[in-house]
Amino acid sequence: MEYAQAIFTNSAIYIIATMGLAIFTGYTGLFSLGHAAFMAIGGYAAAILTYFLGWPLLPALLISVIAAVLVSILIGYPTLRVKLRSDYFAIATLGFGEAVKVLFENFSLTQGARGLPGIEKLAGPMNTALLMVLTIWLCRNFLRSNYGRKIIAIGQDPVAAEMIGIKLLPNQMLSLAISAGFAGLSGGLLAHYITFIQPAIFSMDLSSLITAGVVCGGMGSLTGPFVAVALFIVIPELFRGLALWRLVLYGVLLVVIINFRPKGLFGHEELNLDNLPKLFWIAGLTVGLTVAASFYNEYASFWGRLPAIAVAAALALATTFGVSLLGRGLNWVFRRTLPGVGSSFRRTYDTIYERFKPQLVPVKRQQQRMEMVSRRAAVTVHGQPVLNVKNLGKRFGGVVAVDGLDFCVYPGEIHGLIGPNGSGKTTVFNLISGVYPLSSGEIQFNGDLISGKPPTAIVLGGISRTFQNIRLFGNMTVLENVQTALHTTSDYSLTEAFVHWPWGVKPTEERLYREAFTLLEEVGLADLANRVANTLPYGLQRKLEIARALALNPGLLLLDEPAAGMNPKESQDLVDLIRKVHETRKLTIILIEHHMDVVMSICDRLTVLNFGSKIAEGTPDDIQNNPMVLEAYLGDKVDYAAAS
Amino acid sequence: MILQTIITGLSIGGIYALMAVGYSLVFSVLNFSNFAHGAVITLGAYVAWAVMTQFFQVPFFPALVISMLGAGIIAFLVERIAYSTLRHRRAPSLYLMISAMGVAIALQNVLYATIGANLYALPPVFTQDSIQLGSAVISRMDIFAFVFSIIAIALLTLVLNYTKVGTAIRAASHDSEMVSVLGVNLDVLVAVLFLLAGSLGGMAGVFMGVKYMVYPSMGWITNKAYIGAVIGGLGSLPGAIVGGILLGLLESIVSVTVIGNVHLSTYRDVFSFGILALLLIVRPTGLFGRYVEEKL
Repeated sequence: MEYAQAIFTNSAIYIIATMGLAIFTGYTGLFSLGHAAFMAIGGYAAAILTYFLGWPLLPALLISVIAAVLVSILIGYPTLRVKLRSDYFAIATLGFGEAVKVLFENFSLTQGARGLPGIEKLAGPMNTALLMVLTIWLCRNFLRSNYGRKIIAIGQDPVAAEMIGIKLLPNQMLSLAISAGFAGLSGGLLAHYITFIQPAIFSMDLSSLITAGVVCGGMGSLTGPFVAVALFIVIPELFRGLALWRLVLYGVLLVVIINFRPKGLFGHEELNLDNLPKLFWIAGLTVGLTVAASFYNEYASFWGRLPAIAVAAALALATTFGVSLLGRGLNWVFRRTLPGVGSSFRRTYDTIYERFKPQLVPVKRQQQRMEMVSRRAAVTVHGQPVLNVKNLGKRFGGVVAVDGLDFCVYPGEIHGLIGPNGSGKTTVFNLISGVYPLSSGEIQFNGDLISGKPPTAIVLGGISRTFQNIRLFGNMTVLENVQTALHTTSDYSLTEAFVHWPWGVKPTEERLYREAFTLLEEVGLADLANRVANTLPYGLQRKLEIARALALNPGLLLLDEPAAGMNPKESQDLVDLIRKVHETRKLTIILIEHHMDVVMSICDRLTVLNFGSKIAEGTPDDIQNNPMVLEAYLGDKVDYAAAS
Repeated sequence: MILQTIITGLSIGGIYALMAVGYSLVFSVLNFSNFAHGAVITLGAYVAWAVMTQFFQVPFFPALVISMLGAGIIAFLVERIAYSTLRHRRAPSLYLMISAMGVAIALQNVLYATIGANLYALPPVFTQDSIQLGSAVISRMDIFAFVFSIIAIALLTLVLNYTKVGTAIRAASHDSEMVSVLGVNLDVLVAVLFLLAGSLGGMAGVFMGVKYMVYPSMGWITNKAYIGAVIGGLGSLPGAIVGGILLGLLESIVSVTVIGNVHLSTYRDVFSFGILALLLIVRPTGLFGRYVEEKL
């Protein structure tokens, strides 16, 4: 029994650290080689407090969390600044782990490399389990909040996330701080469970255990890493003779899983009724192996090897079968009872929520926020150009992509940007939205200079865009894609998000849900709200991208080849949609498009680019008869075309 | 004393440079940090140990060649097994790094599980190693390692600049897709890349083994070579060379510095990673790095 308790407590401690890393690596898509270093910080902080100062466990753990978070900010800031790369952060955690080791080895208070024995055994199965449940609950709440969605968006496509106004560095650091905090908690518990602390405990082995847990369990999931780490603790106990090969196994598993099954056990899904049997099957297999191994160890010497193996194998099979059958049974029972239990639970929840709503819902805060949003949409001054591009230039090394371009876009117009392939249209969009720095010239939006501002500031200032090659948050649902883009209108605090404080989170989330749903109705995707985005057909993905861009309530919308790859029917649908959006929202739009029928039917004015310079500007009729344009598109049959 | 410090610094810097070049070569084309490089280097050192002391008593130079070949082939196999599927699938660099971490953990621990954690010495190259130069005592091996590293890197530069494969590799570091469109077999090119990186790593491993010892976790030192590559600018060859040598020099100076009664040599590794953090704040692209703009 004591043995089972030890395994259980160990698993719980490592699961706490793994949940943190699941957020950092699994959801945010960043890589760390040495998360054990944060466990070391937490472990030492807590151990010093209880051993030398006689603190009780809980405050000591709180300090260890805080210490780990502070240290993570210190390392995260310089290394995560380098955009879109976590290589530097990975190597820095490794170096940081080494630094921590060296420092504690030379730290006489904790007896250097020999370590500090005799820490009071304050962590047991009960309080560890409680803290583990708390950790999972907090992580789950966080991931389902507005803050979590931002982080998940970064993990799925950092560029697209930035283009809906999500700042990368602060959110990546938030994700790091959360994972470091849980690692610190886990380290503190570990020290008080094994009653001994030494720099060598927090080695590469420990980091690889939790990384292997996250990857094998499945990135983008909390359930998966939970199951995987539990297995990693339980299974090696069965094969004690092969202890040396355990780490080899982790390494091989990492390579095999990432190559052949990148979603691991439960990638991008959480525990639900559908995968409950799968979970029980895995559990059954593990329990079966445990039973078989202990049986073999017990009876092999009496019965001889072969009979013992045969009986053990039979036992393993029977147990696996039994437990997975139990899973199916439970699944059957839950399918019938859970909806009832769920709805009565929800009713109670709603009653309590309504009862305290008048006292606790921060109505005023929401009104302020809504006013701010509506004010932003109403900045358009009539007569003055919405967008004023002056002498815009961009060179990549020796290649001049855009050269001395001037054009204006006036309020409420649909402005077409056309030109042959490679004429610099998309580059112009990238310059306007701040993805590339300008080589020369300036860009004004509603009279304000925006060139030189970071992309997120430009987006939040009112210019949103879509992409030539679709960039959705592929593993989110259609609705979540739009909800994520509504992030600026969320007004609950991070603390409220963590504890899922009903009176702070619920009203806002309900409003975000309604707004997102309305936007989906506007583009005609409401029926597909719960589909995973990358399972949508191509044409609908384009529409979803437009809905996501509209969620930012832009004053100017940049559409980059929205009809690319569409058949005539689809592109007609799209034209209708653009026209509708334009009319109902009084929206100014710049459109890059190759389908000339689309361009000519909806654009008020066109700017034609060739080799990065403007060769013509005017109404569609003017452009159709402009000899320069015809030459650019068709070659030098100028006379013939002009004559007709 | 100063001369001695500089020579030691140059020799370790030369070894760092050999390893850093391996990182930078792979990074420049595949755009990810190959954290399995350390394990390849360790295995290279073990190959030399095996042929020099266990099986054939091979003399130093043939053993060096054998271990370079061995490490090159191991690096090639690592690419085939752990990266090529991901590469073809255009997986994000996170996946490649996870795969690399898996390879590193697996290879290092295979050594622990089979050969064990013992430290083995490689036979000395020179019977009379130290030479007296004025007041300074200088190790012949240090000078030899430095000179040889420089020669190897010079040869690599020649290969990259004056052969067809080299030209293709340089082109691929700008735009690997374009290179494959132009008819270069990218798989062959990547294989050559890993052979080159691996064999230079094997050489570094042998020098490390002669200078210190051969043991399973000796690949840890490559993390500092990686810092060297970052200092020079990840993906740039001259950067890797300059960065590696610079870091080696700085480290050997720090190692002999004493402030008060604290010997800084204890904190040498802390210092190296401190430099990394500082550099990333001041100049994230490194000394020779180029800023790659994401194409949308």
